[in-house]
Amino acid sequence: MSHLRRSHFCGSPMHALDRRGFLGLAAGAAAFAADMTQLNVLQHPLLAGEMKKQQKRCILLWLAGGASQLETWDPKPGAPTGGPFRAIPTSVPGIHISELMPEMAKRMKHTCIVRSLNTRNGDHGGAAQLMMRGRRDEANLKYPDLGAVLARELGQADSQVPDYVSFYFATEGRGSAPGSAGFLGSRYAPMELYTSMIPENIRRLDGIDDLDHKRRGELRESLSKQFAKGRASSSLGSHGEAYQRVRGLMASEKLFDVSREPQKIREKYGPTLFGEQALAARRLIEAGVPFVRVGRAWWDSHGENFETHRELVPELDHVMSALLDDLEQRGLLEHTLVITLSEFGRTPGINASLGRDHFASAWSATLSGCGIQGGSVYGKTDAKGERVADGEVGAAELFATIYRALGINHQKNYHVGSRPVPLTEPGTKPIKALLA
Amino acid sequence: MKTIKEISSNGFAFALARVPGSPRVLFGGADFKVYDVDFSAAKPEAKALGEHKSYVTGLALSGKIAVSGSYDGRLLWWDIDARKQIRAADAHAKWIRKVAVSPDGKTIASVADDMVCRLWKVADGKLLHELRGHEEKTPHHYPSMLFACAFSPDGRFAATADKVGHIVVWDTVGGKPVKTLEAPGMYTWDPVQRKHSIGGIRALAFSPDGKYVAVGGIGKIGNIDHLDGKARIEIFDWNKGEKTIEFEDDKFKGLIEHLAFHPKGEWLLGGGGANDGFFLFFDLKSKKATRHEKAAMHVRAFVLDEKVETIYAAGHGKIQILDVKS
Repeated sequence: MSHLRRSHFCGSPMHALDRRGFLGLAAGAAAFAADMTQLNVLQHPLLAGEMKKQQKRCILLWLAGGASQLETWDPKPGAPTGGPFRAIPTSVPGIHISELMPEMAKRMKHTCIVRSLNTRNGDHGGAAQLMMRGRRDEANLKYPDLGAVLARELGQADSQVPDYVSFYFATEGRGSAPGSAGFLGSRYAPMELYTSMIPENIRRLDGIDDLDHKRRGELRESLSKQFAKGRASSSLGSHGEAYQRVRGLMASEKLFDVSREPQKIREKYGPTLFGEQALAARRLIEAGVPFVRVGRAWWDSHGENFETHRELVPELDHVMSALLDDLEQRGLLEHTLVITLSEFGRTPGINASLGRDHFASAWSATLSGCGIQGGSVYGKTDAKGERVADGEVGAAELFATIYRALGINHQKNYHVGSRPVPLTEPGTKPIKALLA
Repeated sequence: MKTIKEISSNGFAFALARVPGSPRVLFGGADFKVYDVDFSAAKPEAKALGEHKSYVTGLALSGKIAVSGSYDGRLLWWDIDARKQIRAADAHAKWIRKVAVSPDGKTIASVADDMVCRLWKVADGKLLHELRGHEEKTPHHYPSMLFACAFSPDGRFAATADKVGHIVVWDTVGGKPVKTLEAPGMYTWDPVQRKHSIGGIRALAFSPDGKYVAVGGIGKIGNIDHLDGKARIEIFDWNKGEKTIEFEDDKFKGLIEHLAFHPKGEWLLGGGGANDGFFLFFDLKSKKATRHEKAAMHVRAFVLDEKVETIYAAGHGKIQILDVKS
């Protein structure tokens, strides 16, 4: 069983030793796999050290519908567009955020705010796809989203856990940005949870015993191999790989069960669905899942923007701060990138219903933890928040930065047939100022 | 209704008070300022008395003393003749949503998102009572909001109403609750599509005989991205704890932001809106809306004059005097 990330073993003697050592530990770790609820693997110092070094993770807090930058990360108090909320100082001198986020204000050292996104798409569907993929699809080429790429890059070849999990329980906006493996194929498609915290249909049928289940799998594999003979197809390979992981995925059911967490931990995340899903995300990444998206919908506040944000931002503040605390206390934060991102922000102008509308010209996202220069702000909007005044960032640059923070070469090529397809658009540069 | 006069409110105006027997009104809103304007002038002009540090959402007048409340949590006392601030109180830890004055002009009530109603002595700013009877969180674990308050005509009682439709009637002398009422139809929690809420009781008024409490807001909403629900009114015989009228309008969508009874109890007037605005006359005998008037703005607050001939209204973008009879 290999626990190395794909494509990152450089072949040097030093790393070979590390690899052997890690493989030895990995054999021991196989015992953990027998019970996937065992989440204290990191208490083994050597194993923890290897996991910390090699296994970078990412949690995306997806604020679907478009959270307002003015009521979160880029307040403009006193401006005609500023709205009623005040700005408060954070633990980092000079950085102010909305008064709705007092807990995150105390934890600013972990977080970089990008205040200068200009993504030029104010349509829910197109914008959500853009911000999930970092680029627009071509007519004949569907790109993988962030989760699929990270599943490919950070996942383990024979992982016992899913590589890409997505929680999205609200129905609004779900169709705008479904998880998509694009040309990477179904092996990297997300395990999407829409209605239940526990994956549905993950359990072995009552009428089949474990031996029978194994034998059915072997039969399927045998037939599949026969079918594949003489056929060269990445789809077939991807299909087969997905089946090979079935028993591991079945064993991962308990990872999703937050009731197994101590009550104190559950209380820290709070009683809301968003809190429970963030806690589940922590459990999953701790057990080795490379990427989890927690979708919190729906922020589309065309009417009563301030009431909506008065309701939703304190929840974001509470859940995000609990998540960062938990990750830090477990030694995971330096290896886990936590992202807050929407499909766009909201207009500085306030409409007749005291709402804010779609706005992609000058809005904010945050990156916290792994590989990120915490306690910083990148970019600037003008006094009214109507346009980027400094450091404009597009979706491609943001994604290149995310990849680099996670130790992934943003310029690497995949191949679709014989065509090389770069991970980010050619010429894209990560934002070095954001990287630790 | 015919507009008699109007001026710009420099953005959204949320609160309004009128000097009795005169065309002078005070208003405040999203530019944080408290203004007064004399509509008897040929070209009425709003002049700032001073300002808060956030939206001005409540105004009450007692003689020459005005008290304003704001999302900054403060109450400011103003001498409107001297045009200066005379007192300030850090009244609430969260947004103040409304300020009301008792009929005798001696007491001010303020309600805020700390879910407390506080009664204050107008003359010296002394805190008289803290009325606590509203939950800080909604049943879905999100912050609730205490939007509305009003005094009974004899001043013996005050009523408060919150986001989830919980209403409390208080004894203003003893500072104790005397009745609770429920209007859950004013609150929409969307558990499926958008996973958040909208609505709440935004308007509250006692009938002239003090027997009834009317509340206003918006009915259930399908798409809570917008104020896309029917304007809603409920009336309670509060002493009996009975809901006597439950009304949703078929013509106007949006929030009822302010309610006022005809002095003789003939009708109830609601003002509000969504993207646009409206006035709705509700006949208390037939229990039907008898008159629908589109407004030139989303109406946030209004005052009827003593003869019930004109309405002084504040809203999104304008301060207006309207002819009721036209």
